[in-house]
Amino acid sequence: MRLALLFVLLLPACLAKPFHQQGLFDFMLEDEGSADMPPTDDPVISGFGPVCPFRCQCHLRVVQCSDLGLEKVPRDLPPDTTLLDLQNNKITEIKEGDFKNLKNLHALILVNNKISKISPLAFAPLKKLERLYLSKNNLKELPENMPKSLQEIRAHENEISKLRKAVFNGLNQVIVLELGTNPIKSSGIENGAFQGMKRLSYIRIADTNITSIPKGLPPSLTELHLDGNKISKIDAEGLSGLTNLAKLGLSFNSISSVENGSLNNVPHLRELHLNNNELVRVPGGLGEHKYIQVVYLHNNKIASVGINDFCPLGYNTKKASYSGPLIASALGIKESSFKAVRDKTHCKDDFKLPTHLSVTD
Amino acid sequence: MEEDDDDDDDDNSLFPTTEPIIPLIPFDLFPICPFGCQCYVRVVHCSDLGLTSIPRNIPPDTRMIDLQNNKIKEVKENDLQGLISLYALALNNNKISKIHPKAFQPTKKLRRLYLSHNQLTEIPTNLPKTLAELRIHANKVKKIHKDAFKGMTSLHVLEMSANPLDNDGIEPGAFEGVNIYHIRIAEAKLTSIPKELPSSLLELHLDDNKITAIELEDFNRYKDLQRLGLGNNKIKDVENGSFANIPSIREIHLEKNKLKKVPPGLPQLKYLQVVFLHSNHIAKLGVNDFCPTGGRKKKALYSGISLFNNPVKYWEVQPSTFRCILARNSVQLGNFLN
Repeated sequence: MRLALLFVLLLPACLAKPFHQQGLFDFMLEDEGSADMPPTDDPVISGFGPVCPFRCQCHLRVVQCSDLGLEKVPRDLPPDTTLLDLQNNKITEIKEGDFKNLKNLHALILVNNKISKISPLAFAPLKKLERLYLSKNNLKELPENMPKSLQEIRAHENEISKLRKAVFNGLNQVIVLELGTNPIKSSGIENGAFQGMKRLSYIRIADTNITSIPKGLPPSLTELHLDGNKISKIDAEGLSGLTNLAKLGLSFNSISSVENGSLNNVPHLRELHLNNNELVRVPGGLGEHKYIQVVYLHNNKIASVGINDFCPLGYNTKKASYSGPLIASALGIKESSFKAVRDKTHCKDDFKLPTHLSVTD
Repeated sequence: MEEDDDDDDDDNSLFPTTEPIIPLIPFDLFPICPFGCQCYVRVVHCSDLGLTSIPRNIPPDTRMIDLQNNKIKEVKENDLQGLISLYALALNNNKISKIHPKAFQPTKKLRRLYLSHNQLTEIPTNLPKTLAELRIHANKVKKIHKDAFKGMTSLHVLEMSANPLDNDGIEPGAFEGVNIYHIRIAEAKLTSIPKELPSSLLELHLDDNKITAIELEDFNRYKDLQRLGLGNNKIKDVENGSFANIPSIREIHLEKNKLKKVPPGLPQLKYLQVVFLHSNHIAKLGVNDFCPTGGRKKKALYSGISLFNNPVKYWEVQPSTFRCILARNSVQLGNFLN
């Protein structure tokens, strides 16, 4: 009798298929994965169970919950979710259990919320997380215990003033680190903070308050973007060990000098942006540089350009020729001085006005 | 699910999980990529760079471009030239007020277009017919022209909340021939439920508007509707029989309105599982307001009914009012948030 009653009670629930949205991201032909909700051994008994949160869209393991005015992370997210987009909401805090069960999550987008607190255990279940986007929040520090699987961390436009070594400890898969528009000071960056990130290839610390190139950057770095800071000079030490660096962005600082030999430390540099600084002469070492192809020097205080400032003496030993815009507009420079450069240098073939060398006032 | 034969690439996901290739190849062969952006596995990341225009030298085989959070004012005619493989374009959080009518012409596979948080005053004309998802949240859109979605037979998701759109702003016929499944026009100026949205709708979200009533013919076209969001409006009346047009409905949100009683017709909705009615003016619950009578059976039991923050006297509610719920905690009566 009791059993019969139970049966009657459960019957309608069994007839009702678990709710799932269909037809949404058909185009995410991602694959084999079933579009249906995962089978739930713990059905809707407690609350609503793991269905797609109301107003979100869930399909093929992408959960899209942006622009909903959410004040917290929705509960009962489908456990097979690989991408969770929560951008443009009003989330203030990431709590310990917010991502429990999401062990397949690859990308977590929390951009443009009001997050000021992240529980140290919140990310613990995310064993496969590769991308963590925390930009436009109110974080004072990067969270500790970020998943070791991370390849990309973005925390642009927060209130981060300190970068501690402990935060990056063990994050040896990180390739991209973007920390721009934060009140970071040079003194707030712990010595060797980035050293453990053995795969780090791209770092951007733009529009902060740092006054020098951070020390102890890993040799794996291919791009270093430090524009819009308060850096006043480049010394050789700042770039030492960066043998793989290909792109260096230092525009909009107050750099007045580049120590001789600095560019020797970055032998594979291809692109150098030093526009909008206080330079009075073309940085030394460009002429001997083998791979450099793009140099931005406009909006500095360079009054004259030497014949050998850009191109090597003697036979052309450059392995790559200048391409793209070599913009060298500076107050006082006359186009004629570039003509002199052009006519007398040995890399003149690659050095043509106006396409490769632009001069503007 | 429908076939998608216009794109036979193997990895169609927004964020390919394949390992990015670190360029340790000879530096002469360094792949092109706009300065400051990252280009790998055919994804170009250029967010947060303060860019004032769409950069040149984007690799021509790019599938996704992330340009969010910049200062781009305009999408120009040739900005996307050559990007025939482009599949997703994120332009949200910029200052875009102008999109050239031919700007999207070079794209042949664009499926997702994110334009939220910009300054657009209308749905751009000549959007790619291939689009499956369009997000244009928090712009200044006042008007949806008759031809705005013309020929966009793959469009499935439209999010255009937080725009100053009223009912007259939707030109008749604007949604003709499109098969959108999910529409959200929340935080707008709607005073009634738009009647000319696509009949393919599975989800309709109109929360935070100024809708005052649900009328008999409102859902005539939306026979397949499964989820309906009407929270935070000014709904006083739900006309008898309105819900009979949406027999597949599973979830109705009517919280934060001005309802004086439970809307009629709920017991006939066999698949209805969730009804939010909290924060209304409901003073009385009838014993047959939610559950069918006689031999009729629900196909799905209620898993969530919210009634808190209503002047209802809970001690007067007959227990059998909730005879068709899944579990005791499926009903929230008291004045607390679960």
